[in-house]
Amino acid sequence: MSDSFSWWGVLSAVGVLTGLGITFGALLGMASARFKGEENPLVEKIDALLPQTQCGQCGYPGCRPYAEAINQGDAINKCPPGGEATILALADMLGRDPAPLDGEAASEDTVAYIREAECIGCTKCIQACPVDAIIGAAKQMHTVIEDECTGCDLCVAPCPVDCIDMLPRRKPLTQWEPIVSDRQPLRSAHVGL
Amino acid sequence: MSAYEFPGGIYPPERKERSNQAPLRTAPLPKVVMLPLSQHTGKAALPCVNVGDAVKTGTLVARRDGMVSANVHASISGTVIEITDSVIIIQGDGEDRWATLPPLDWRTAERDTLLQRLDDSGLIGLGGAGFPTYIKAQVNEHHAIDTLVVNAAECEPYITADDLTLRHYAADVLEGAQLLARLCGATHIIVGVEDNKPEAIQALQALLTVIADSEPLASVTLKIIETRYPSGGERQLIKKLLNREVPSGGLPADIGVLCHNPGTLLAALQAVRDGLPLVARVVTLTGDAITQPGNYWVRVGTSVDALLAQVGVDDEQLHQVVVGGPMMGTPLTSLEAPVTKTTNCLIAATKEELPPAPAEAPCIRCGACESVCPAQLLPQQLHWYARAENDAALEAHHLFDCIECGACSYVCPSAIPLVQDYRSSKQRIRHKRIETAKAEHAKHRFEFRQARLVREEAEKKARRQARLAQQQSASSDATGTQTAPVADLRSLRIAQTAAKAAVRKAEKVLARAAAQDPQQRHDDLETQLATAQENLKAAEARLADARAASEQKEAP
Repeated sequence: MSDSFSWWGVLSAVGVLTGLGITFGALLGMASARFKGEENPLVEKIDALLPQTQCGQCGYPGCRPYAEAINQGDAINKCPPGGEATILALADMLGRDPAPLDGEAASEDTVAYIREAECIGCTKCIQACPVDAIIGAAKQMHTVIEDECTGCDLCVAPCPVDCIDMLPRRKPLTQWEPIVSDRQPLRSAHVGL
Repeated sequence: MSAYEFPGGIYPPERKERSNQAPLRTAPLPKVVMLPLSQHTGKAALPCVNVGDAVKTGTLVARRDGMVSANVHASISGTVIEITDSVIIIQGDGEDRWATLPPLDWRTAERDTLLQRLDDSGLIGLGGAGFPTYIKAQVNEHHAIDTLVVNAAECEPYITADDLTLRHYAADVLEGAQLLARLCGATHIIVGVEDNKPEAIQALQALLTVIADSEPLASVTLKIIETRYPSGGERQLIKKLLNREVPSGGLPADIGVLCHNPGTLLAALQAVRDGLPLVARVVTLTGDAITQPGNYWVRVGTSVDALLAQVGVDDEQLHQVVVGGPMMGTPLTSLEAPVTKTTNCLIAATKEELPPAPAEAPCIRCGACESVCPAQLLPQQLHWYARAENDAALEAHHLFDCIECGACSYVCPSAIPLVQDYRSSKQRIRHKRIETAKAEHAKHRFEFRQARLVREEAEKKARRQARLAQQQSASSDATGTQTAPVADLRSLRIAQTAAKAAVRKAEKVLARAAAQDPQQRHDDLETQLATAQENLKAAEARLADARAASEQKEAP
C-alpha cells in the first residue's frame, strides 16, 4: 500500500460516482416520461408493411390490430392479400423465420361491383366496408367507389340479395408492364452493325 | 464546335442517308384513323364525342383530363365509328374538311391567349416523351428560364425527321422558338445540331444573318456539335452546349434551360399562326424493306400497316417494324398499331439489317458499359441488382437517372440486354410506389372510419346520459339509483386536450403541404385532419357525458 492511499479519496470517488448515477438516472427518468412515444414504434413499422386491405382474413378487425397482434407474438403468415412478399418483409424486419402462407393467396387484384338493378338499398354493405368505399342511402341503390375499394370481400357476405361481385380490377393505361419477349429488339439493332 | 463534353457515348453506324435523300412528302390520306387517348405523358384524355358523330379534321374528340394531359383532335374528316377505353376510331369521308381555330399573332397576342391556344391544340413534345407543351411553356412561373435550346441533334441512327423539318421549315421552326422563348421568358435561343446534317445547317445559317438584322425578341445562336450518340439526350445536349449539369432527379428548368424539339416548335407556330391543331407530324419511314424510304407528313392515327403499304414495303423481306430509332425504339407486336404524336420514325427492317440478338452470356465484368454511360452510372452494378430485384440498391445507385439510351447494351460483349433490365426494374419500382401510396390511403380511410364509429358511440352515450339526467330531475324519487361509475374527469380532460393538439398539428401539416404544393391534392392529409377532428369530438362527447354523470351524482 502506498502512502498516498486515503479513505477520503475512496469516499469522494464513491460519492462522485453515486452522485453522477443519481443525476443521470433522474435525467433519463424524466426524459423517458417527458418524451414518451405515444405508441409502440414497432407496431407502426409492422403496420406499414401490411397491405392495408382491412379485410380481416387474419382474424383481426383490420391491419393495425393484426400489427399489434404480431408485435405480441402472433404468427406473421396470416395475411393472404399481402402474400409471400409481406411474409418475407415481416420475417426480415422481425428476425423471425418465414412460414408458408396460412390460407389461400389472392389470385389477382379485385374490386367490388354492385349490380345496381338488383340492389334493395339495405345499407348492410355500407356498414361492412372498412374504408367507406360504398355510398348510398337506405332504400336507395348503393355503389362502390372503385378507386377507394381495397378488394377485401367484406361486403359480399352481408348482402341479402347477393348482388355484389368481386371483379378483377381494371389497370390504367399508364401502369403498363414491359413485354419481355424472346425477340430482343434493343440488341438486335446492334449486332451486325 | 463545342468546347464542352458529356461523359461516355458511342459511335453507331448512322444509316441516315437512306431517308434523307428524298424531299419531304405527304402520305396519302388514311381511310380510317385510330386515335389513342394516351399519346402523351400523364393521364389519358376523356372522349367528348359519341359514336356516329360527324367530325372534321381538327375537331376536338377527347379533352384533357387534369393538369398533365393533352387534347386529342380528329385527324381526318368523317364519322366516329368506335370509342373504347383507349382509342377513338374515325372512318374518313375522303374529303378532309378542316375545322381550324382563328389565327393569332404571337407577337401581339396576350400570353394567356397563347397558352390557351397551345393547350387547345393538343400540343405535346414531338421528340418522344410527349410532355404537354402548354405546361412546359408556363414553367417560368416556378423557375427562371434564360435559355431555350432547340434540340436538333437527332443522334439516333436512321431518324431524319428533324433534319428534313429544318431543311424545309427552318424559318418557321425559329419563329416557333421565338414564340416559346417569349412565353417562358428566355432571352437566348441556342440551336444544337450534329455535324452530320449539312443541308439543315446551311438553311439555318442563311436564316441567322436575316434574323440578326431584324432585332428578334431573343438572340439566336447556332451550335454545331460532333456526331456522337446520345448527344440528343436533353441532359447531354445541355451539358455540351452550355456546360450546365441537370441535377439528379431534377429538370432542365432547375438550371434555367428549356429544351424543345424542332417539330414541336413548328407545330406550336402552326397552332398559333394558322390555328391548326396537332393532327399530323413528320415521320421517317426507313429500313431495307421499304421501297420508297423518306420523310412524310403523316396524319396521327394512321395505321402502320396502311402507311407501309402506301409507301411500298417488301413483305417477303420484312422481318420486324421498329417504332423510334434502333437504339431506344420498340419493335411492334402488331402492325395495326397507329402512328401517334410521338412516333418519329418507323424502321421496316429485314432480318439481315437488324438480326436477332445472340444468346446472352454471363457478365465478364469488362467495364465497357461503364465507360460509355452518358449518365455516369454503373451499369454493371445496376445489372446485378436488377437481376436480384434489389430495389433499395437500385435506387441507391440512381437507377432513375438512367436515360435508357442503350449505349451499355450496344457495347456489351456478352450481349446482355441491360436496358431491358433497367426498364422493367423501373416499372417494378413504380408499381411498388403506387401500391404503397394506395395502402397508405386505405389506412387513413380505415382510421377515419374507426374514429367516426367511436365518436358516434360516444355521442350516443352522452345523449343517453343527458336524457337520463332529465328524467331523474323530473322525478325526484330517483335518488340513490345512480349506478353509472363516474369516469375520471381529469384523464378525460387530458384526452380532450391531446385530441385538440392533434387537430392543430394535422391542420398545420396540411397548411404547410398546401403552401408548398398548391397544385396537388392532399387527400390523405385531409383525411388525417378529419380523423383528428372525429377523435376530438369523441373526446368532447365523453367529457360531457362524464360531467353530466358527476353533476347528477352531486345534485341529489
